[in-house]
Amino acid sequence: MSSIKSVVISCAGIGSRLGLGQTKALIKVNGRSLIAWQLELLKEVEDIRIVIGYQANDIIEEVLKYRNDVVFVYNHRYFETKTGASFYLGAQHGNDFAIEWDGDLLVHPDDVKTILNTEGEFICYAEKSSDEAVYVQTDDKGNVLAFSRETGDYEWTGPACIMRDKIKYSSGNVFNQLEPYLPLKGIKIRAYDIDTYSDYTRVMEITKNWI
Amino acid sequence: MNTDTKPVMFIFDLDGTVTSEETLPLIANHFKVEEEIENLTKETIQGNIPFVESFIRRVFILGKLPVSEVADLLETTKLYPHLLEFIQTHRDNCAIATGNLECWSYKLLQKIGCAYYCSDSIVENNKVVKLTKILRKEQIVENYQQEGYKVVFIGDGNNDLEAMRVADIAISVGTTHYPSKSILPITDYLIFNEEALCRQLSQLL
Ligand SMILES: [Mg+2]
Repeated sequence: MSSIKSVVISCAGIGSRLGLGQTKALIKVNGRSLIAWQLELLKEVEDIRIVIGYQANDIIEEVLKYRNDVVFVYNHRYFETKTGASFYLGAQHGNDFAIEWDGDLLVHPDDVKTILNTEGEFICYAEKSSDEAVYVQTDDKGNVLAFSRETGDYEWTGPACIMRDKIKYSSGNVFNQLEPYLPLKGIKIRAYDIDTYSDYTRVMEITKNWI
Repeated sequence: MNTDTKPVMFIFDLDGTVTSEETLPLIANHFKVEEEIENLTKETIQGNIPFVESFIRRVFILGKLPVSEVADLLETTKLYPHLLEFIQTHRDNCAIATGNLECWSYKLLQKIGCAYYCSDSIVENNKVVKLTKILRKEQIVENYQQEGYKVVFIGDGNNDLEAMRVADIAISVGTTHYPSKSILPITDYLIFNEEALCRQLSQLL
């Protein structure tokens, strides 16, 4: 893992679509909270920045069980903002490159290694699996040409890595922040996000033997 | 890295932020006045007694003690070694703002080696006879901002609240004890580990 990259884990949101009544960082997947999964998968990373908002104190308490050398970044306006604002806040005073990592996304351990060993900027995507997704359109080398709500070859999942100074404050989502810099190198990964209850049960099954 | 054109000034709280032990309990233990001071300190850190009132009450209790002996004692307060190294490497961009009396703290502060701001008192016959100024940390922040600095304030207590609110960037630290809950709603970064704090400070340079 190159030390010049920060990993920004976004955990500020409410996670209301899941309907479990708590922030997604704290829901248990196979006995382990989602944030604990991220910390295990990212344990080689020196500069981890966790963006918190809803249930911040509970997330802090959970994180401190595993490591105390992270930087907690507050997004006090988590109710009015989306992932773009959290990524901006998390990255703005970090290292020169920032890897955006959704707190509710589980990435296969081997692919985590690939991501952390890849130099420079990139965007990760996965096989289509969600009903409601943002898609990526790629060229024959797998580079990302465009994002689309309608159609594309793969599903946009993140993570993505970009130079910190290119990340502008956004009231939208992370893919909106990346759009001005396309095309970007693409990496196909095995990644599953948890937005709905059916995602949740499916991810439990998939990740059973991951760690 | 700081891409602003403004230079950065890091202003640190002293107790529990740069020191890894609180100084007032240290004095109280040494001079065997723990009971009087302990509750007051605890309630103040929690934000249950207004800082100014608590401070005046503490000076009443501790002012009778020999000032030179207090200064010698505080010079031995344990400091965070890597944070100290950061401050000494960047001493022109660092300052300390502490509510403690200068006559008690100056030896410790001079050892740290950057600019410092304290509360003031009149000392006669090696005793504090009158409190003349209680430091308002937010004024130090504002002064540096008026001089054109981007101010980063690093603190952990309820008495850092106003300074952190005014600062351009507010860092709460939980390295010595959990930071006062009152400062979290105006905090940008919350950090529990000395190395992580030094890393964040370097990133802000
Ligand atoms: Mg303090």
